[in-house]
Amino acid sequence: MKTPPVPQDREGTAAGLLLGAARHSAGRTTAVFLCSAASAVASLALPAVLGRTLDLLLRRSPDADPWLLACAAVIVAEVLLDALVALLGGTTSARSAAWLRTRGVGRLLAAWPGHAARFPPGDVAVRLTANATEASTAPVSAATLGASLLAPVGAVVALFLIDPWTAVTFLAGLPVLLLVLRAFARGSSDSVASYQRAQADIATRLVEALAGARTIAAAGTEARDRDRILAPLPQLATQGRRMWRIHGAAVARSGVLMPLLTTAVLAVGGIRLASGDMSVGDLLAASRYAALAAGVGTAAGLIGSLIRSRSAARRAAELMALPAMTYGARTLPPEGRGTLELRGVSVRREDRTVLAGVDLTIPGGTSVAVVGRSGAGKSTLAAVAGRLTEPDAGTVLLDGIPLGALRRDVLRREVGHAFERPVLFGATLGEALAGGSPMPEERVRAAARAASADAFVRLLPHGYATPPQAAPLSGGELQRLGLARSFARAGRLLVLDDATSSLDTVTERQVEAALARDVRHGTRLIVAHRLSSAARCDLVVWLEEGRVRATGPHEELWRSGEYRALFAPPEPGPAAVPAAASKTEPYTHRAPVAARAVPLPHKHATEPAPAADTAERADR
Amino acid sequence: MSAAAKSPAPGARPGRGALRRNLPPARRFLAGRKRVLVRLGGWSLLESAQTFLGGYCLAQALDRGFLAGQTGTGLLWLAVAAASILGAGPPMRGVFTQLAELTEPLRDALVRRAVRQALRHAVTDPARTDDRADTGAVSRLTHQTEIVRDSFAGLVLTVRAFVFNAVGALIGLLALAPELLLVVLPPLVLGIGLFLATLLPMASAQRAFLDADEAVAEGVGAVSAGHRDLVACGAQADAAQRTGRLIDTAERTSRVLARWAALRTVALGVAGQLPVLLLLVTTPWLLRQGVTTGALAGALTYLLQALLPALHSMMTALGAAGTRLLVVVDRFQDATAPPVPPKAPDPDPDMVVEAATPRGRRPSRTAPAVEIRAVTHAYGPDSPPVLDHLHLTVRRGEHIAVVGPSGIGKSTLAGVVSGLVAPDHGTVLLGGEPVTGTTAQDLADRRVLIPQQAYVFTGSVRDNLLHLRPDATSGELTYAIGVLGAEPLVNRLGGPDAVLDPRGLSHGERQLLALCRAYLSSAPLVLLDEATCHLDPAAEARAERAFAERAFTDGARARGGALIVVAHRLSSARRADRVLVLDGTTPRFGTHEELLTSSALYRDLFGHWQHTPPPVGS
Repeated sequence: MKTPPVPQDREGTAAGLLLGAARHSAGRTTAVFLCSAASAVASLALPAVLGRTLDLLLRRSPDADPWLLACAAVIVAEVLLDALVALLGGTTSARSAAWLRTRGVGRLLAAWPGHAARFPPGDVAVRLTANATEASTAPVSAATLGASLLAPVGAVVALFLIDPWTAVTFLAGLPVLLLVLRAFARGSSDSVASYQRAQADIATRLVEALAGARTIAAAGTEARDRDRILAPLPQLATQGRRMWRIHGAAVARSGVLMPLLTTAVLAVGGIRLASGDMSVGDLLAASRYAALAAGVGTAAGLIGSLIRSRSAARRAAELMALPAMTYGARTLPPEGRGTLELRGVSVRREDRTVLAGVDLTIPGGTSVAVVGRSGAGKSTLAAVAGRLTEPDAGTVLLDGIPLGALRRDVLRREVGHAFERPVLFGATLGEALAGGSPMPEERVRAAARAASADAFVRLLPHGYATPPQAAPLSGGELQRLGLARSFARAGRLLVLDDATSSLDTVTERQVEAALARDVRHGTRLIVAHRLSSAARCDLVVWLEEGRVRATGPHEELWRSGEYRALFAPPEPGPAAVPAAASKTEPYTHRAPVAARAVPLPHKHATEPAPAADTAERADR
Repeated sequence: MSAAAKSPAPGARPGRGALRRNLPPARRFLAGRKRVLVRLGGWSLLESAQTFLGGYCLAQALDRGFLAGQTGTGLLWLAVAAASILGAGPPMRGVFTQLAELTEPLRDALVRRAVRQALRHAVTDPARTDDRADTGAVSRLTHQTEIVRDSFAGLVLTVRAFVFNAVGALIGLLALAPELLLVVLPPLVLGIGLFLATLLPMASAQRAFLDADEAVAEGVGAVSAGHRDLVACGAQADAAQRTGRLIDTAERTSRVLARWAALRTVALGVAGQLPVLLLLVTTPWLLRQGVTTGALAGALTYLLQALLPALHSMMTALGAAGTRLLVVVDRFQDATAPPVPPKAPDPDPDMVVEAATPRGRRPSRTAPAVEIRAVTHAYGPDSPPVLDHLHLTVRRGEHIAVVGPSGIGKSTLAGVVSGLVAPDHGTVLLGGEPVTGTTAQDLADRRVLIPQQAYVFTGSVRDNLLHLRPDATSGELTYAIGVLGAEPLVNRLGGPDAVLDPRGLSHGERQLLALCRAYLSSAPLVLLDEATCHLDPAAEARAERAFAERAFTDGARARGGALIVVAHRLSSARRADRVLVLDGTTPRFGTHEELLTSSALYRDLFGHWQHTPPPVGS
C-alpha cells in the first residue's frame, strides 16, 4: 500500500453509508414501510367510513351496525399500526445507529494513526453519537415518507370523489398556505446569531476562568469573576425574547391558515348540502380530508429529517473513508535479535518530503540515538520503524522480514513504542500499563519501577487501581507511565520517541540505567534532544531535512561543530557548555561512562554569572 | 461531561426521584411568576373561545342553516367561525410573549447555576480541573440549557394548548348537549391516565438512554485520543470490544424507549379515537335524547379537529421533551450537591495555641513571614505523605526558592502555605497568624499565589491587571508594568484600556500579565509557583528581582513580606537567599553553599546543570 488511495468503498460516502444501514435492517425497514402505509390507508378510509356510518345512523337505518363495526375495526387498526410503526421505527433506528457506530469504531481502529489523528477526539465523539443517531433515522424516515405522501394525496382524491367543489376550494387555498410557511425562516436567523454569540461569549469567559481556577481560589475573587462571566446574560435574554416574538408571529400566521381552509371547505360543503348534493356524513368527511390533505407538512418534516440525516451521514462517512492498515501473516525468525533495516524509505506529507530515501541498518541489540533539528524527520523515522506510518516508498525490515508482512500480534509484541505525550487507556493505571494485554501484576510493577513511576503511582489515592483520568499527572509523570508501558511489553525493538523530554535530569539518568539493566534486551531506537542521551547510545543517526547526514558513535560525530550545535542548551546555558562546544577546544570523548565519573564541580564552577550566560548565548 | 455530574444521586430511583427532587424548585419558580401565568392563561382563554366557536358554529350552521334550507344563515355562522380564527393571531403572539417571560428567566437561572457550579467546583479543587470538566461545564452552559429551554417551551405550549382546547371543546359539548360529555369524557380520562402512568418509567428510560449515549461519546473519544497508542500496543480488539459493549447498551436503551413510544401511541388512541367510536355507538341513544344532527357533527369536529391534534402534540411533547427536561434539569440539581467542605486539620497542640489568639488582631511585627510547623500531607488516606513533618521558617523580606523533581510536592507546598490546601497535620503561620480558618478575602490580603497556569480573561488590560486590587492608581499600574518589563507587551496590546483576547497571547505573555497583577496586589507575601516558566530567562530574572525587592521594602517587611519561588529552572535557586530542596526523603533548607555540601540531590542537580554535556572538561 502506498499513498492512501481515494477510498473506493461505498461506505465512504453518505449515500453509500445510508444504503448500507438500510440494507443491514432491510426486513425491518420494509416492515416499517408496510405498517405506515397500512396506517395511512386506514386513516384515509376512516373519514369515509365514519361519514357513511353517521349518515346511516342519522337515518336510523338498520344497515348501520356493520358500518359501526367497520368503523371500530378501522380505528383500532390505525391505532395499533401507529404503535407498531413507533416500535419498529424506534428499534430499527436503534439498530442502524449501533451498526453505524460499530462500523465507525472499527474503521477508526483499523486506520493508520496519522490518518486517524486528523479527527480530534471530541469531533469523533460527535460523529459517532449525535451524527450517527441523526443518520440512523434515515431508513425509517424514508420508509415513512412514502406512506406519509399517501395520506395527503389520497385525501385530495377523496375530496374530489366526495364533491369536486370542495377539492377545488382546498387546492385554491393551498398556495397561500405555502407562501405563508415560506416567510417563516426570515428574520429569525439574525436574532439566532446574536443569541448564539452572547452564549459563546459567556462560555468563553467561563472557560477562561476555569483555566485560572487556582488564581481565583487564591485571590478569593470567585464572586467577582462570576459576575464578570455572567455580564453578557442580559444580552442573551434580550435576544432570546426577540426569538420568541418572531417565532410567535410565524406560528400565529401559519396557525390561522389551516382552520380557515377547513372552514372554506365546510362552507362550500354546506352549500352543496343545502342543495342536496352532499350528506352530513360527506360534509364531515370532507372537512376531515381537508385536514388530512394539509398534512403535507408531515412529509416536509420527513424530507427535512432526511436531509439532516444525509449531512450527518456525510460526517460519519468521513470516518468510514479512513484507509485501513494492513497486516501480513508471517512471523519473525526465532533466532533474530532485532536487526532493523530501512531500504530507500521515503515519506511525504502534503507535498513536503519528510524522509527522503533513508537507508539504514541497525544491528540487533544496539541502542541508536536519532538526532537532528526539529523538523528533520526524527519522529517520522521512529513511526516508520514501528510501522505506525507506512512509507510512501521503500521497505522496513525487522530481522529480514518486511514489517508489512508480519502478523499484527507478532509486530506489536516485538516492537514497542514510548511517546513524548503518551495517552493511557484502560480502567486503572495497572491496566493502562499493561497496554490492553493480560499481564502479571508483578511484571507491570517491575516495568513501572524501571521507569521511575512506581513511587509516585503508589502515592496516588488508589495506587495502581487509580483510574488514569482521576490521577493528577504532570507531563513528566505521564511520560514515565508511557515508558513503563513500553518496558512492560519490550520485545526485539523498542522505539522511544522523545519519551524522556519532560523528565528532570536525575530521573532521566535513573530511567536510562534501569532500561539498560532491568528491561528485556533488544534493539533501541531513541529519538533524543539531550546530548547525554545521544552520548550514551552505541550509535547516533544524524538526520537533516529527511536525509541521514551521518551515522556513527557520538564521539566521532562530536568532532563536527554542526553536530555539536544541535545540542545548544534550551535555557541559559551554563558557562561550561559553550566552552566545551567551542571549536577551538576540540572535545575528546573517551566513553559515555566517563561523564558520570566526573568529579563534583568545584564551587566556583557552579556559580556562573547569569548576565554572562545570556551574553554568551546571544553570541552563538 | 464529568462523571460526577452524570451519575444520579446514590440510591435515587431515576424517574420518581427526579420528579421529587425537581418538583419543589419548579413550583417555586412558577409561584414567583403568577402574573405571567395569569396573562398566559388570559391569552389562552381566547384560544378556548376559538375552539368553542369552531364546533358550536358548525352545529348551528347545520341545524339552523344548511339542513333547514337557510344557506345564508349557515354561511353566516361559518363566517363567525372564520372571524374567530382570524382573530386568533394576536392571542397567539401574546402567548409567545408570555412564554418568553417563563423560558428566559429559567434559562438565565440555569446559566447562572451552571457558571456558579463550574466555578465553585474548579475553585474548590483546582488540581482536579481538566479539559473534560471544562467540556462538561460548557455543555451544561450551552447545549443543556438550550435543551431545557426548548423542552420547557414546548411543554408549556402544548400542555396549555391541550388544556384550553379541551376547556373550549368541553364547554362546547356542554352547550350543544350535556349528554355528549357523558360519552366523551370517560375514554378521554382513561387515555390520559394511561399516558400519565407511562411518563415516569419513560423518564427513567430516557435518562438511561442519555447516559448510555454519553458513555458512547466518552468511549469513542477515548479511542480517538489514544489511537496511536492503541495501535502501537496492538490493543485494537480490546478497545473495539470495550466500545462495542457501550454501543450495545446504547442500542438496548433506545429499544426500551421505542417500546414506551409505542405504548404512548396506544394511549393516544384510547384518549383521542375511542371517544369518536363511542360517540357513533351511542348515536341512536343520543338522537333519542333529542341531540340534533348539527350537535353530533359539532361534537365530532371537537373530537377530531381540536382534541385529537392537541392531545397528539401534548403527548409527543410530554413523552419526549418532558422526560428529557426532567433528566437534564435533574443533572443541574445533581451538580448542586454542596461541595465537600475542605477537611479540617486534626487538632494540633500548636494549632490550639494559635487558635486562642484573638481574631482580627494586627499581625505581629516580629513573627517570621512564614512559619511551617510539622506539616504532613498525603493525597489520599492510604497513600504515603508527600509532605512529611515539614518545618520551615521564612524570615521577613526573605527570598526563598523551592527545588526538586517534578511531582515531589512543590505545588502542594505552595498550596499549603497559601492556605488553599489544608494539611492533614500541622500548622502554617503567616506573620504569626494561622493561615486556616480565615476567609478567602482575608487570605488574599496577606498573600498572593501565582500558579503556572496564568489567568487572563477577555477584558481590558487594566481590568486584568487590577483584578486583585481594583483601587490601584494609574501610577502604580505604570510602575508595575515598568518594573516587570511588560511595556512592550502592553503597548503591543494597545495600552491599558485595550481589550485583550487571551487566545491571542502566548503562555509567556499571559504569565507576564499575571505577574503584573500580583505585583499590584496589596498582599506582602508572594508565592510564584513556576509562574515564570514560559518567560525567557532574562525576563524571569527581572521578575524575580522585582518581587524580591518588593518583599524587602520596609512597608512589606513590616507586614510580613517575603518571596517564595517554586523553581522551574535552577537559575531561580541561585537568585534566592535560601533554597528548600525536596527530594522525597529529607527536605533540606539552606543557602546555596550549604546545600552543595548537605544535599546530594542539590549537588547532583547543579553538577548536571553545569555539565549537561558529558565533556570531561578541557
